[in-house]
Order: sequence, then C-alpha cells, then structure tokens
Amino acid sequence: MIEMTNITKFYDNFRALNNINLKVEKGEIIGLLGPNGAGKTTAMRILTCFIPATSGSVSVAGYDVFEDSLEVRRRLGYLPETPPLYPEMTVGSYLNFIGELRELPAGKRRERINYVAERIGLADWLNRVIGTLSKGYRQRVGLAQALLHNPEVLILDEPTVGLDPSQIIEIRGLVKDLARDHTIILSTHILPEVSMTCGRVVIINEGEIVAVDSVANLEKAAAGKPAWNICIRPAAGKDWRQLVEKHAGAAISDLVEMPETHHFKLNLEKAEDFDDLFRNLTGAGHVLREITPVKATLEDVFLKLTSAEERKEAA
Amino acid sequence: MKILAIMKKELQSFFYSPVAYIVFASFLMIVGYLFWVILISSRMASLEPMLYNAAFILLLASPVLTMRLVSEEKKSRTIELLLTSPISPAEIIAGKFLACFTLYLVLILLTVQYPLVLSAYSTEFDMGPVYSGYIGLVLLGAAFISMGLFASTLTENQIIAAMVSFGGLVLFWIFGWAKHAFDNAFGQILGNLSIFDRYAEFLRGIVDSGNVIFFVVFTLTWLFLATRVLESDRWR
Repeated sequence: MIEMTNITKFYDNFRALNNINLKVEKGEIIGLLGPNGAGKTTAMRILTCFIPATSGSVSVAGYDVFEDSLEVRRRLGYLPETPPLYPEMTVGSYLNFIGELRELPAGKRRERINYVAERIGLADWLNRVIGTLSKGYRQRVGLAQALLHNPEVLILDEPTVGLDPSQIIEIRGLVKDLARDHTIILSTHILPEVSMTCGRVVIINEGEIVAVDSVANLEKAAAGKPAWNICIRPAAGKDWRQLVEKHAGAAISDLVEMPETHHFKLNLEKAEDFDDLFRNLTGAGHVLREITPVKATLEDVFLKLTSAEERKEAA
Repeated sequence: MKILAIMKKELQSFFYSPVAYIVFASFLMIVGYLFWVILISSRMASLEPMLYNAAFILLLASPVLTMRLVSEEKKSRTIELLLTSPISPAEIIAGKFLACFTLYLVLILLTVQYPLVLSAYSTEFDMGPVYSGYIGLVLLGAAFISMGLFASTLTENQIIAAMVSFGGLVLFWIFGWAKHAFDNAFGQILGNLSIFDRYAEFLRGIVDSGNVIFFVVFTLTWLFLATRVLESDRWR
C-alpha cells in the first residue's frame, strides 16, 4: 500500500531523514515511534505530499507522491500535528467544507458527516463554533476531517494528544476498528498506545529507522535474562540469601530491607532454576509474599535503541 | 467546484470577523462625505471627483481585506490541510481571489446610489463617464486584490502582507510621475505601468481596450505569481 524507498530529507544542511525504507501492507497499523525531532512528522509530511523528499521515492496505492500527487492526495486522510481548523466556523460547516474539498457529492457528504460525527462522538456538537471547543474536541474534529472521505490510507500525527484518558481509550478503539478497511500510520511518543493499537512498530531516531518489528518481538529481543520482583518475609534467624545465591547467575539487586519484609529484584541464568529456589525458600520457612516476572516493555526497547544511538553519536 | 468551496469559505470568514464590516462602514462613510462636500462646493453634477477619491480610499482599504487571505492559513497551519487535499494551488488562489473580488463588487455596488441621486435631480447629467468610471473601478479592484493576494502568500504575518501590498500599490499608483521627470523611453515605460493614469482615462469616459487589457494582464500576473509562491512553499 505504501512504499518508501531510500528517502532522505535535508532542511538546508540539517539531515532530518536518512535513507528510510519502509513497506506497509494494506490493513496494517504502523506506529511511528521516536523522541522529539526524530523525523516522524517529516516522514508523514513527505507521505502526504506536503513537502518533497530530497532523494528517494514514495508510492501510495501504486501512485508516486511526486508524479501523481493528486491521486495520492485523493486516497489519503491526514491529521497533522496541529489539527487544521478554522476557529470561526462551526463543526458542521467545517466538515461540509472538507467534504467539498474531498469531492464528495452533496448527498453523500451529509451522510458521511453524520456517520463520522456519530463515530467520533461529535453528533451533538455540529452547531458549535470550533473556536469555543476544548482541546480534546478540537482533536476529534481534526480526526473527523481525516476520516470524512473514507480514505484508503490514514496518516495520524499524534492523534491522542490532548485527550483525557477515557477519550484516549475511545480513539484507540476507533483506530483499531478503522484498521479493518484502512491502512493506518500513526506517530506518537506515548508508548502504551503503540503496544495497544499497532501491529508493527517503526522506531526512528535522528532520522534513521533503528527497528521495525511487532511489539511482541521487540519486547522479546530486549528481555535478556529472566528476572523477577520478589517480596519475601524471612523466617526468624535464617538467612535467605545463601539459598538464592547458590543458583547459577543469581544476582540480587534493588534490595530494600523493611522490618518485616525484604524486597528485591532477582536475575537467574535459567528460568527453570526458579522452581527449585521457590521450594528451598518455602521449605526453610521463608514466606514469599509477592513474585512478579519482569518483562521488558516497549519503554525498555525504546530507551535501549534510542540511547544506544546517542552513545554511538557521542563516541 | 472546489474553487467554489474555497470561495464560499472565504466569504463566510470575511463576515465572521469584524474586518469586512469595519472596512465597509469606513469606506461608505468617507465616500458619502466626499460626495456631499464635492457636490456642495462645486455645484456640478459630476461623479468624476468622487470616483477618483474613492479609488484612493480603496487603495488604502484593499490591503486590509487581502492581508489575511493566505497568511492566516499559514499561521494557523491550515495550509497543510489545503495543500494535502486534492486541490491545486491555482484553485486555492482562484477561490480566494473570487471571494475577495465578490466582496469588493458588493462594496462598489453600495455607492451606486450617488449617480442615481445625481441623475434624478440634475437636468443634464451624462451617464457615459459614470458607466466607464465604474468599469474602471471594477478593473482597478481586481488589480488591487490580486497584488494583495500575492503579498499575502509571502508571509504568515498579516501586517507584513498588508504593508507589502500597500507599498506595491502606491508605487504602481505614482509610476506616472516619471513621465514628467524623464522625457524619454524610460519615463514612457514607467508611465505606462501607472495604474492611476489608466484609471483616470476611464473617469474621463474613455474605455480604451489597451487599458482594459492592461488591468486584466496585471491581475493575472499577480495571481500567477501568488500560485507559484504557494507551490514553491512545498519545495522548501
């Protein structure tokens, strides 16, 4: 559906994107992830024909963004970083204007406005002046604008920014729903959002793609040795540490000794060793209050990949 | 159709903001005063002095109408919406020009009462120069607006856009003075660029096809340049 080949973008002498290659299939939700200034917005602007790439080529639905820009734009819905709204218009007249720009005939336009307003929770707000809306509602109007013509490809630049938690959940659900018949690229720096909505994640740092994979695979790769967070109530007069330390590769960290209980993080070489350890500890009269396996989250992946880049840069 | 959509949206936003009302009110007030003062002091049924002064007032007022046309879209980043929609920069410029021009025509139409008053109460009032004068005024308005629209594409600051178009228009207004300064081809060329000299001929009752073509070409040139500037924003 979308194919970016060797995209490089310079702003004067600043290299915003460096040799980006990305292929997106129909019906996928791709999350673009990266620290501020990584090039997410630049990549989206190139996709939407707002700015051209310095070199490389992009095609959307088989059309080149440079050669057939009009055909590409017909197939795109785009929510920029700042929702492009006219504060003096009402929500209804604004959406009607968008419908006209998007070449929807009058009857179809009304139908789509009502449908989209219903989906996004704007049905009761069509007569309100946009300038009087709260940030969350403006964001919704921006999203409604991008969806109005039922585009094949949706490009959303930080779609949930400024929304309250319940709205964020609604919008995420909506995005997931839409993915059935749309291809979606969304950027964000809210990591749980990506884990929840996106099939694949593209992590960008300093204009380069540092990882492309599913959330699960990325987490697996970053996990490393098995680890647990443990809360133990030691039996009186007995030391639990010996029992733990005789296992291969055992490492205790973040130890906090409370009067009653001890909290710590435990790393082991092999996950199977934990069964033995558990039996030994309880056998000796220690009480295990809490055991939580530590999983690498997308945060870890993200920090690892983006800060590794920084170190390389500094060296 | 997309041109119409842009045009409709622009016309709406003119009337959502107080700008159009204020420009209308002050223009009509000044023109009404001019008509009265000129009529009382000259005791002649001629519209020429009023139309001459009205044109200069419009030269001052039109940058106020045109300044926000594109620069506001740039400032509020709605330009990103327009340029990623299936609409060409030429259509955007055309829609915006037509909206502002329509507003201008309404403004001009509101002054038609004065020639009607003159023709109703004077014995030998010549309508010829009135017709030609209004044709001149309409063409002049197209020229003013196209240049203002061009200035508005250059910047996201409305004040700068207004000042650029005001400066440009005044310059074209007074180019004719060169004719008196240089008695050669150079002075002649500058004189030919003067929008005032050409407008003055309309006021004398002459509709010269050369002058009509000049205004049309002048307008199209600035609209073309405005389109190019809007397109070039993408390449930066």
